[in-house]
Amino acid sequence: MKRIVLMGVIILMVVATVYLWISNSGLSEGEGPFLGIIALILVFAGFLLIRRIKSWKAGEPQEDELTKKMMVRTAALSYYISLYLWVFLLYIQDRVTFDKDRLIGIGIVGMAVIFALSWLFYHFRGVPND
Amino acid sequence: MTNRIKEFRVKLGLTQEELAKKVNVRRETIVFLEKNKYNPSLRLAFDLAQILNVSVEELFSFEDEK
Repeated sequence: MKRIVLMGVIILMVVATVYLWISNSGLSEGEGPFLGIIALILVFAGFLLIRRIKSWKAGEPQEDELTKKMMVRTAALSYYISLYLWVFLLYIQDRVTFDKDRLIGIGIVGMAVIFALSWLFYHFRGVPND
Repeated sequence: MTNRIKEFRVKLGLTQEELAKKVNVRRETIVFLEKNKYNPSLRLAFDLAQILNVSVEELFSFEDEK
């Protein structure tokens, strides 16, 4: 239950932050797709939250050895790929005019996308062998 | 590693959900096990064997992937 509440609070915080960001400064050019990606991440987080709530209602453990192992594998893979993302961003920083805030924003959103994709990869492939 | 969890579960007339509850895992874990997409821990393997009234050797078989 504690984790469900924590996840819900994090989702609400992200939604509130995006709302404040848009209401204070509005959307500037090129930020539309960025917002779309954040929305996709929120949908993914919402999906995970609903899964947890369903498990809780069904009396199942919200976490077991498979979910823990999948999270560990996902974290390891997404960390590894994220390193390449940051190297790539540093590489293009010198070649394309980039606002530093936007670069960090792209990096953070990119990491979240990579994490979601890694999770989906292990979810469909499974974790058959150690 | 392959297993015969589904075969023994059906023999006992258990659903995936019932088996999951008996061994204290999520139903999804049983689905992954039956599809051979996950190798369980020793603890879970023994729990499954106990609930399904078979030995671990009967439930799981290992083929060397060389």
